[in-house]
Amino acid sequence: MKINLSAKYAIRSLSRHLRRTILSVLGIGVGCGLCLFTIAFIRGEKKMMIRAAAESGAGHLTVAPKEWVNTRDNDLRLENWEAKRREIAAIDGIRIVTPRVQTDALLAFGTRMRGILMTGVDPPTEPVANRLVQKLVEGRYLESGEIGTVVVGRTVVKRLNVALDDDLMVTVAGQDGQMSSAMLRIIGIIETGSRELDGTICHVTVEQVEKLTGQQGATQLTILLENPKSLETMEEQLRNRMGNSAAVLDWEELLPEMAAGVEGDETWSRMIVLIIMTVVFLGIASAQLAAVLERRREFAVLSALGMKSGRLVLIMLMEGVVLGFAGALLGLSLGAPTAYYVATKGIDFSGLYGNAEMSMSNILFDPIFYGDFGWWLVPLSFVLALAATSLSSLYPAWYAARTDPARALQVEQ
Amino acid sequence: MSVSVIEAKDLSKTYEAGRTEVQAVRDVSMTINKGEFTAIVGPSGSGKTTLLNLFGGLDTATSGSLSVVNLDISTLSKRQRADMRLYYLGFVFQAYNLVPVLTARENVEFVLELQGVGDERSDRAGEVLEELGLTEFADRRPNELSGGQQQRVAVARAIASRPRLVLADEPTANLDGENAEILLTMMRRLNTEHDITFVFSTHDPRVVAYAQRVITLVDGCVDKDEIKNAGSC
Repeated sequence: MKINLSAKYAIRSLSRHLRRTILSVLGIGVGCGLCLFTIAFIRGEKKMMIRAAAESGAGHLTVAPKEWVNTRDNDLRLENWEAKRREIAAIDGIRIVTPRVQTDALLAFGTRMRGILMTGVDPPTEPVANRLVQKLVEGRYLESGEIGTVVVGRTVVKRLNVALDDDLMVTVAGQDGQMSSAMLRIIGIIETGSRELDGTICHVTVEQVEKLTGQQGATQLTILLENPKSLETMEEQLRNRMGNSAAVLDWEELLPEMAAGVEGDETWSRMIVLIIMTVVFLGIASAQLAAVLERRREFAVLSALGMKSGRLVLIMLMEGVVLGFAGALLGLSLGAPTAYYVATKGIDFSGLYGNAEMSMSNILFDPIFYGDFGWWLVPLSFVLALAATSLSSLYPAWYAARTDPARALQVEQ
Repeated sequence: MSVSVIEAKDLSKTYEAGRTEVQAVRDVSMTINKGEFTAIVGPSGSGKTTLLNLFGGLDTATSGSLSVVNLDISTLSKRQRADMRLYYLGFVFQAYNLVPVLTARENVEFVLELQGVGDERSDRAGEVLEELGLTEFADRRPNELSGGQQQRVAVARAIASRPRLVLADEPTANLDGENAEILLTMMRRLNTEHDITFVFSTHDPRVVAYAQRVITLVDGCVDKDEIKNAGSC
């Protein structure tokens, strides 16, 4: 196929000032690579945050009584929770369903006491759904149907000055409003590394909460999905199945501060990308404009030969597209390996937190952040680079198209 | 009966240079017929280039009327003037002004591509280059050609589209005597063999000697027209 001479002219024109072209491509490539890295990192961070939120107890989805959505009243109980749990667990794509029930409790040991939100759990499924349980450092976790035992966090242990096998006096408000107490033996201690988070952990079995409060059943069913990407479709499916008998909430509704944080990070990444691409845009526009100014006589001659403004604009845009294509390839070759490294090796932020675990809103984060990596980097690189170079070529192209041939030729003479 | 290629009547062009107005062309009236080989002569600043720019539709007149290849220039849009240049006119410049990143053949082909000529454009460019004795230089870029060769390529580019009129602005100004002679002989041959009208500005006596008709401009006015009438102002 014969290459169009206009295209040949555009491509060869870029080789006239090879250093300028190389610097332009470098600018686009580095900018594009930085954008790819930023987007890959934020995408990975978002996935990690969602995973951390889901696996720190919130789940991807939660089924709760309708009234609970507005009141967050822990005295409410799900109707037929066991039947609901079986129904949900049978759906394809559900990793685990675990029941939870919470109640305010007062823990006392000798003269020391501490108020806490006690959580009744299902011991076989809770460790799968909750990464905090995996941080058990002393003793053992609860067993199914176990009564008279409790697992607490390290901070609780320190505050109450207790140890494994000590008996805690636990007092809760019963169904009729009267106090109900029991002695619970500490059989396990969880240490996440976050002092704040360790001060909130107090796990007993669902049966233990039922016995203390006199109320049967669970308040929530916490659900983890096999694939978090199916969140919306699964949420819709569950809403249809639950009908009016229960509400279905996703992690964003359950943890609005966390959702706002994720949204904030995304906005921040978009701003960074915008800033980088604006700098690239201005750099390329400046270089292209310089190229146009140098070639005014040439454009005047082409115009004298009968070339129309549209063709001139097209040639300038072609030059921009060639620069963008080369910049995208360079951006990919810089951004993709960096993104791959961060996706596989991660960036360790534990040093920033004094080697302690990172937590926020009772969510335990992995201190090593991993970026995202995939084929999506390729089209993104081309979209970013070509958009920046095409847009930045518009003004120089318009300027070239406005060249007054008579004046441009006269100036040269 | 003669067919006119250019008809100018009371043509004037005024430029603004800062706060002052410069009248580059003043009330010029002339008719140039098909097949003429006309030289427009005059000292620097006499308005030769401005007049050629007006004929080529590169510039617009301040007043007067101008018809080129039977097209009333004043009624044409920018786009239509570009089309007129593309299909009916050829240009040759003093400084050759070939596209430096294209070879001699590609320079010639480029105009044909703009005209929308398809695959045969390469053959047509080859034919024109052969006619002007440039075949062996066809694949060279302008910086690999001498001044004379570049100007011959520029002429090839100007005539490749088979124009009715070629406007040449000081075509021999940058050439030595031998190359100027070669170029003028070639242009004269194209004029007689292909019946292409040539109008060129010059103050080179060698060029004047080749011209059939010599129009002398002084201060933007036609001072002498050696074949036809005397000056119009």
